[in-house]
Amino acid sequence: MLKYFISLTLILSMVTVLAQSKPIDTQPKDTVVYQQAFGIRVGLDLSRIIMSSLDDNYTGLELVADYRLTEDLFLAAELGNEDKTRQEDLYEFNTSGSYIKVGVDRNTYANWYGERNLIFYGGRLGFSTFNNTINNYQIFDTNRYWNPEGFATGSETPEEISGRTATWIEAVLGTKVELLPNIYLGASIRLGFLFTDANEGRFPILYVPGFNKVTWDSKFGVGYNYSISYFLPLYKKKNKVKKVAEEEIVE
Amino acid sequence: MKSFGYSILVFLCLLTAASCEKDDICVEGNTPLMVIEFFDVNNRETLKNVTALRVVGEGQTVTVNTVTDRTNLNTITIPLKTASDTTGFLLISNSASNDDGFEIGNIDTVRFNYTRLEDFKSRACGFIVNYEELNGLFETDTDNWIQDIEIMQSKISNSDSTHVKIFH
Repeated sequence: MLKYFISLTLILSMVTVLAQSKPIDTQPKDTVVYQQAFGIRVGLDLSRIIMSSLDDNYTGLELVADYRLTEDLFLAAELGNEDKTRQEDLYEFNTSGSYIKVGVDRNTYANWYGERNLIFYGGRLGFSTFNNTINNYQIFDTNRYWNPEGFATGSETPEEISGRTATWIEAVLGTKVELLPNIYLGASIRLGFLFTDANEGRFPILYVPGFNKVTWDSKFGVGYNYSISYFLPLYKKKNKVKKVAEEEIVE
Repeated sequence: MKSFGYSILVFLCLLTAASCEKDDICVEGNTPLMVIEFFDVNNRETLKNVTALRVVGEGQTVTVNTVTDRTNLNTITIPLKTASDTTGFLLISNSASNDDGFEIGNIDTVRFNYTRLEDFKSRACGFIVNYEELNGLFETDTDNWIQDIEIMQSKISNSDSTHVKIFH
């Protein structure tokens, strides 16, 4: 047995070398790649539908849509129609017209694996065409000598001012949460800045469809919406590896 | 993420500022009153008081609420009708009542014609009226105390200066 010892050791050492030719991988690479869904999301503003059913003096409808451009950038738009009658102290007026808002949203929410929610900020360019009707008005006069009962009637016949337009920009802050697969519930608040001069003509612009109430002597307006929308996935794309992370690996 | 937090803060601040409004109270304007001054007919540059002046709107039973009744005045500020293009006033000098309550002063009737110009002042005020093309006439009777009327400004858009001079 002893005389074979050296040759046996040699053989065994060769076996050992063979066994180590395939190293054990303690950090195997994940071959399952998570792919982000890209597509178009379309929906309706719930608040305008609810307001239409609750308020006799208001009807409105707004379609919302966005298209995912990159991982966190969305092309977004709203298209709507509003008809609102408002009684002020001395006059009643109606505004009816349509509007379109186009812009972008940027998602800032870092989703966990599999989540597809959004907390976003964005901007819009808004444009509206509408008609005003002054339904009736009285003349404001603090002296009551000639009209002790009330203000003198200016007119009872509706007077239409048609073909009015307004342009504005809007800052948007909102969220969209995936409640059911591909069904999103969203909410947003908007701060608008009106470019159009509201005080031109016989009757100023006091309300703009889409922009909401025009405050006297102010260019700013506020709005909101609550949307329910459906996400239609069109294609899938892998998450882009962040450049910063690559540099760190190289170093 | 930090800059996003700041942007939310700025956004909310702007939102709060934008929702503050003063739309509920009308401070931007009012339908103006007409200012009449009384001058001496013999010395047309000098103001002359009308003794115990009483001003009643034509068709009204009460005196004009902007004039202190039966006092000596050389300036009055009176309202014109906003619903009609003519307003008449009974200007009574030496106004007094007899024992039966009848007016014994000298009553002269003055009528003002004008065109009305509606002006939208603000959301809270709505429409007010300015007057243009003002002219005034007095009815001649056997015993007029008013001798002449002169329109100083045919447009009434405020009550800061004299619109009508009446000579007596």
